[in-house]
Amino acid sequence: MIAEALKGKTILVTGSTGFLGKSIVEKCLRSIPEVGRINLAIRSSARRPASERLEREVLSSPAFKRLKEERGEAAFAKLVAEKLAVVEIDLGRDGLGLSDAGREQLRACEIVIHSAAAVEFDNPADLSAQTNLLGAARMVEALKATGTRPHLVHVSTAYVGGMLRGLVREEAPHDPGLNWRHEAAVLSSLRGPVEEESRQPEILKRLGREARSRMGPAGTPAVARATERLRDRWVKDRLIERGRVHANAMGFADIYSFTKAMAEHAVVELHGDIPLSIVRPSIIESALEEPFPGWLEGFRMAEPLILAFGRGILRDFSGLPDSVLDIIPADFVVNTVLAVAANPPPDEKPRIYHAASGSRNPLRFRGMADEATKYFAKHPLRDRYGQAIGTPHWTYPTREELATRARTALRFVEAAQWVVERLPLGASVADMSDDLNAERERLDRGLNLIQLYGVYTEVDCIFDTRNLMSIWDKVPEAERKTFPFDASLYDWEHYFQDVHFPTVVRMSRAETVARKGKQPTGSTAVKSESSSVRAAIERRKGRSDVLAVFDVDGTLVETNVVEYFLWMRLRAQPINEWPGFMAQMLREAPRWLYLERRSRAEFQRSFYREYNGLDYEVMKGLGREALDAVTLRRIYPEGMRRIREHKRAGHRVLLLTGALDVVVEPLAELLDVEVDCAHLLVKEGRLTGDLQAPPPAGEARGTLLEEYAARNGIVLAESFAYADSLSDLGMLELVGTPVAVNPDARLSQVAGQRGWRVERWRMAPGNWRLPMPDPRSLEYREAVRR
Amino acid sequence: MPRPGAVIEVDRNTPPVLFHFGEGVRLEKLPLGARIVYPPDPLEPIAHPERAIKRALAKPLEDDPLKSLLRRGMKLTIAFDDLSLPLPPMAAPDVRQLVMEEVIDMAAEAGVEDIHLIAALGLHRRMTEDEIRHIVGERIFSTFWPDRLYQHDGEDPELNVYVGKTAEGEEVTLHRRAAESDLVVYVNLTLVPMDGGHKSMSTGLASYRGIRAHHNAKTLLASRSYMNPPDSALHHSCIRQGQLIEDTVRVFHIETTVNNHAFPAIANFMQKRETDWSARDQAMFLAMKQMTDLAPPAFKRSVFHAMRAPYGMTSVQAGQVDAVHDKTMEAVRNQLSVRVEGQTDIVTMGVPYLGPYNVNSPMNPILVICMGVGYMFNFYRNKPVLRKGGVLILTHPCRCEFDAVQHPSYIDYYDEVLSDTRDPIEIEKKYEQRFAEDPWFRQLYRKSHAYHGIHPHYAWIWAAHGIDHAGDIIIVGGDREVVHHLGFKAATTLEDAFEMAEQTVGRYPSVTHMRMPPIMLADVE
Repeated sequence: MIAEALKGKTILVTGSTGFLGKSIVEKCLRSIPEVGRINLAIRSSARRPASERLEREVLSSPAFKRLKEERGEAAFAKLVAEKLAVVEIDLGRDGLGLSDAGREQLRACEIVIHSAAAVEFDNPADLSAQTNLLGAARMVEALKATGTRPHLVHVSTAYVGGMLRGLVREEAPHDPGLNWRHEAAVLSSLRGPVEEESRQPEILKRLGREARSRMGPAGTPAVARATERLRDRWVKDRLIERGRVHANAMGFADIYSFTKAMAEHAVVELHGDIPLSIVRPSIIESALEEPFPGWLEGFRMAEPLILAFGRGILRDFSGLPDSVLDIIPADFVVNTVLAVAANPPPDEKPRIYHAASGSRNPLRFRGMADEATKYFAKHPLRDRYGQAIGTPHWTYPTREELATRARTALRFVEAAQWVVERLPLGASVADMSDDLNAERERLDRGLNLIQLYGVYTEVDCIFDTRNLMSIWDKVPEAERKTFPFDASLYDWEHYFQDVHFPTVVRMSRAETVARKGKQPTGSTAVKSESSSVRAAIERRKGRSDVLAVFDVDGTLVETNVVEYFLWMRLRAQPINEWPGFMAQMLREAPRWLYLERRSRAEFQRSFYREYNGLDYEVMKGLGREALDAVTLRRIYPEGMRRIREHKRAGHRVLLLTGALDVVVEPLAELLDVEVDCAHLLVKEGRLTGDLQAPPPAGEARGTLLEEYAARNGIVLAESFAYADSLSDLGMLELVGTPVAVNPDARLSQVAGQRGWRVERWRMAPGNWRLPMPDPRSLEYREAVRR
Repeated sequence: MPRPGAVIEVDRNTPPVLFHFGEGVRLEKLPLGARIVYPPDPLEPIAHPERAIKRALAKPLEDDPLKSLLRRGMKLTIAFDDLSLPLPPMAAPDVRQLVMEEVIDMAAEAGVEDIHLIAALGLHRRMTEDEIRHIVGERIFSTFWPDRLYQHDGEDPELNVYVGKTAEGEEVTLHRRAAESDLVVYVNLTLVPMDGGHKSMSTGLASYRGIRAHHNAKTLLASRSYMNPPDSALHHSCIRQGQLIEDTVRVFHIETTVNNHAFPAIANFMQKRETDWSARDQAMFLAMKQMTDLAPPAFKRSVFHAMRAPYGMTSVQAGQVDAVHDKTMEAVRNQLSVRVEGQTDIVTMGVPYLGPYNVNSPMNPILVICMGVGYMFNFYRNKPVLRKGGVLILTHPCRCEFDAVQHPSYIDYYDEVLSDTRDPIEIEKKYEQRFAEDPWFRQLYRKSHAYHGIHPHYAWIWAAHGIDHAGDIIIVGGDREVVHHLGFKAATTLEDAFEMAEQTVGRYPSVTHMRMPPIMLADVE
């Protein structure tokens, strides 16, 4: 009856690049061989035209794998050419931005399935209004303009009724007395005022301060960019907030269901004599059977919750444990839509159908949690150390209670982070900083989940499906196997244990296998995280236009400019002068720490003044001695290996550092690589403490690198950079393969955000020494005597 | 008359026995019936070493007196052993200093002006100025350093000349200065039977090209043991190379031996048998045990490495290499030999804080194995004290510690090679060339104070025969992860180690404890 009714029909599907849309297209192609033609409404994006989007975003999806396998590639291509066509439709423009050809295509359609929507619960208010509300209205208007009367199947959501209790019937949604046109106008014009607000001095200053504290050492342009990013984020958050508050005030869970409800009002009002059916799915999750068990794209509602549960991020969750959590497998929704499409209403009165499981096969919230406990007990996720994570036991407190708890914890973690970021310990607190970051992320995500989804676990209603069941009753036995959509046909245990949970875990790429082959503590052996960089080196073998640029202090050697200075000065002084000298250094320490945090360049400038008046040749000699005594002892063996790998691959290697020539040049000479470092002005054989050029920190580092690349014909996009601190950001950003080595807390965050490789290099165990010469050695005594 | 070495059977009255434990010591109770092998007491040193040296130079073996070989205008090169000998370093004056001063005086008398002194360190690390000064003495150092007293560099493309090939195809290289000299005087100090003879020149002044001829797994597995030259393929190869060198350049060998008085008064208890410990020795032991149990490793190391051995010279002979070396071997055997009857199922040994390659640095895990399973295991003649397939039990903390300056290539070897394979032959195939030719290690060897890139491999294959011979190797008190990484078993206590050994050697194994150092050579019948 379904296949028969759709035989020879021309169907338009909007939202076909989305999960539901492409599932519908796939099912039509596979199960309704005699369908006339399927027009896919796709908008050309800034990057690619509509036809390319069809290829890349629809047809290459795993959803079509089964079809390709069953028919063979050639037959599939033929089928696509025969049945599928693209209509360029832009729901964001009045009249849908149709060309003449497009209008003709639209006119030919006998069935229109409107499944385009911005489905995230936390979209900005204006985006939701544009896509969900105005998009639907424009679609109906455009259909009316063609003068034809295709059957319009509008895909909505079961939550358009807002937060109701008890039975929700398949009727027009409740009307809080709102005018959808007015709502649309208000919501979509929100952005302007918010943008303006974001540029007010107080706010811009606050964002600027935050950007400086995060990115200060990276230089002015980086701070400016960070400020702009923060402002953008602020605007988006503000719009999301406005949308959520507005929706909540109107009795809706979120902006998504609110705009969908308004859209229903609009469609019902506008449809005129066009036959209209509305399908309201509840929470759509992975497919039970078709095109393959577990077919799912993108994370939808329950997945983040399930993963958070498995990862132990949500140690507790709010909600009513006995409430019905209305989940419906995607293939059942697809079949519902097709069945509805095959049964147009006989009159102008719109028909409404719930695609929901609650009335036929109720799943309790506690039931899902129990299934999850069972599943993750058998297949635990693993943390970054490869340890199995235990599943939490949920006690279902109220949402407010839970949110308060999370916020309090978050405040503590943020305070700890504030302290750790300001510790002058660099990479040595990296682990602690990472842990805090992870904890903060955990709390942040938990809080977010509570805000977004908590409300759905408190829904105390059941969606009536009698309208839909009346269609089901008409479906002949033979076709019920091809197009099942009765929710009582499956068993939740099977669905979760065998289909959904495995899919979610697979898609999240969470660690599920214990790692083997642990290295001894303190080992500097090659670690797995370095393999991708090594592969990149291998790929660019033999290319002399590839550069590997290394920072030195903290990246190749566990030292800083202060330690070298200490060592060289102590070396040149008799031991009885040491205490006075040390006391003087300690007095200056707080000021240096402060400067270091603000800007690496300022710190270096200030610190190098200490060299004022020292004999250049003597310092050069001491620098050479420091090579054996300090540098080589504190070197990272992995760094040395990496440099050699680059050299073996034929790449150029450059040390780019703010350290002084007297200590870096001996190392560069030994390594046989080029070096660009700081030089102090020399007057009559003595150092003046003034730099010859601005210190290569912050953006200056980027410029230096660019200059070098231009001079030597280096392709930076194919090059590598290794650095440990935010002040090297300018350099890291320029190259194709940036590697954060032992990053400090702030660089670690940046690297995490941008997906840069992070490696931890260590000194060989047992080599830590105070940065002072051995006062008992003959060599020291000789040197002092001289 | 000093007591010879002895084998004592543990009975109810036997006190617990000393085990060296890196920079520390342990007293362990051995099972009844176990044997403890003690080294001989130090032989009486020669009363007037200077006179003995003069005598040896004046009446050399199968060669003309040194004086007659010296003449004005000649090129004279003095090569001497590096700081890997003796262990621990000798209290000043070093025997080599005495010999060299005598040779230089003699040369000066003869009007020789062109004198160079070369530290024959082979592929060992360059010594620091302090270390060289300790060996040659202040007088020579201030006169010759750095232009005419310097260290061999096996990677200098200019300074190593190819001498030729032996009948067996072994390549021979030599330091250019030595090759071009009219006379080379080699000043040796022999502590163990492995040292001296032809091996001095053929490894000390050679490059990797020459050394690889015998420093390889095949040769070492055929050296049973390399502490007994007649049974050592390593020495046969060195002799062939040495003979080729003697054909090319005139070499006058001076070899010295010292007794085994390895520990100064402060650690006198290490020198003595436990039954002989006085109250003072007991107190010193307790004090040291407390200190080493509590102190951080770096502090312990500085205390231990500051120890200088009060070695006494027991013989000096000069002249033609074979004649000289025969006498040297005789003197060494007199000092070191202990007769041991038959092999046992288990052999226990305490690995001390010091081996030839970690003077002034921590003993890294590879060197622990080189010392315990390599050198100490190989102190035998005829056959090992351990029966084939028996269990070797060592005590050492075996911490994951590497000296970044001296042992950079060891770090890579440990991390990259040993996590891949521990089989010497396979390592040679896959990694030898890479480590030997690594430019960074080459630079560190030449310019800094690092062992050659290939050196960790030599340290590892030094233990190849021991690993092959033992059915199981257990390291008591070793860091578990490190010991596993090396491919052995770790035990917390000696009792646990005996329990673990039961699987290999049964419930009632025979046990021998080699109580060294002071070192000894087990003559197994």
